[in-house]
Amino acid sequence: MSSEEILKLRQEAVAKLQSIYGGDADMVIADARYGFISGLLKDVLKKPPVERLSLSDKIDKIIVNRWLGIPIFLGLMYLVFQFVFTLSVPFMDWIDAFFGWLAGYAANISPDWLGSLVADGIIGGVGSVLVFVPPIFLLFIAISILEDSGYMARAAFVMDRLMHKIGLHGRSFIPMLLGFGCNIPGIMACRTIDNPKDRLTTMLVNPFMLCGARLPIFILLIAAFFPENQGIVMFSMYILGILIAILMAWIFRKTLLKGESGHFVMELPPYRLPTIVGVLTHMWERGKMFLQKAGTLILAAVIVIWFLSSMPWGVEYASADSWIGHIGNFFAPVFAWAGFDQWQASASLIFGFLAKEVVIGAMGTMFAVEEGLLGNVLATQLGWTPLIALSFMVFSLLYVPCVAALGAIRSETKSWKWTIFTAVYTTAVAWVMSVLVFQVGSLFV
Amino acid sequence: MAEKQLNELKKGEKGKIVRITGNSSVFRRLLDLGVVKGSEIEMKGVAPLGDPIEIKIKGYNLSLRKSEAAGIIVEVQ
Repeated sequence: MSSEEILKLRQEAVAKLQSIYGGDADMVIADARYGFISGLLKDVLKKPPVERLSLSDKIDKIIVNRWLGIPIFLGLMYLVFQFVFTLSVPFMDWIDAFFGWLAGYAANISPDWLGSLVADGIIGGVGSVLVFVPPIFLLFIAISILEDSGYMARAAFVMDRLMHKIGLHGRSFIPMLLGFGCNIPGIMACRTIDNPKDRLTTMLVNPFMLCGARLPIFILLIAAFFPENQGIVMFSMYILGILIAILMAWIFRKTLLKGESGHFVMELPPYRLPTIVGVLTHMWERGKMFLQKAGTLILAAVIVIWFLSSMPWGVEYASADSWIGHIGNFFAPVFAWAGFDQWQASASLIFGFLAKEVVIGAMGTMFAVEEGLLGNVLATQLGWTPLIALSFMVFSLLYVPCVAALGAIRSETKSWKWTIFTAVYTTAVAWVMSVLVFQVGSLFV
Repeated sequence: MAEKQLNELKKGEKGKIVRITGNSSVFRRLLDLGVVKGSEIEMKGVAPLGDPIEIKIKGYNLSLRKSEAAGIIVEVQ
């Protein structure tokens, strides 16, 4: 039988069903299917006379309660962040110390240039990235627990009204949350959103979520320039990212991606106790991407940085005469209105395109200082004030997502157009915001 | 017995679906999940921000927006 004949038969069957039952054929079939099922169940299934409240229903009575729902949601988010950032500190210190020791050891390798490549370039660069393995993996553990326990669906349920208002979907919430760990799993998690416009919008604004890779930039600059208000400045970076994401999502849904939002017909699964194996598997599935990035992209990036800083041959390492100095000088004037028009700043931002965590590593390389001293060097050698540091942080927060995140957008959208669009519009937003911060801030300082 | 839109049900109220109207993508999804004519349905509650709602149908819990529930006409028991 040919495909046309099959289609013709199908059309005849649909027409026949509709002429007999008067309704939609889908409906008629579904009715008949569920009619059959319920008839069968009547014969074979005995139900207890009074339906008792299941444990899941009891938990739901509290968790999505009218008054408690939002406080519980915010409390859980707070717990997640406490869990991630408090618990990761000792691990980060150990990893940092280990790579410090290793680099000191490798610096003795001769000839000198090889020692410098291994110690400054490879160990320094890759080490500064691996330091972020603990918080990122802990975040993935937390998210897996929320997911496996059944709370994620409730989070979407609780947040949908709000997300719907800004043109997104309750399910957009989960990718946004994941984005705090790393934008790549965040972008990939957009697959769970059915409606194409909801999905694309969520992907386009996901890079504004302050990912773990950007943390080192903020941790370092905040410690150096805002020692009194570390918590509040860090918190405002997160909030700024969220607000910009909301604003852009709203704009996209009103302009480029106009249209109805997808439906919110979703099962709320019963609560379950997450298993350790399940949680660890999920953590590994998501986290291994970060490790692969450290082993491939970032390793390549640090070698490129080292090379650009050492060329032309014989030049002083990462000085203004090196290639990286020239590139930085070329772009520096662009940032005049934002306050950081030094070649070191623009050069490090260019490297940040490879991976955000490289920004600080690149600066460390250019000034040939340990990261701990970098804050002081920026203040004394470049004359950075807290305002300039803030403007630089705002730019680093918002500008072009790292090359791996863009790769994820490309593979998820299957479109170079949207990928390039993301790179361009985020950088434009970053420039406008950092100029705004610096110019408005200058009026008050 | 009174007919109501599903979104108008009060918490704990039960009913039987009489008919479903509304746009096709929601409609399809509802059919797939077993929300069909004749099903017993119970209102479980409303999300803290007032939307969406949670219902119980065929022994499991389902959430949907009020605008989507408005297309489901229920005969209240």
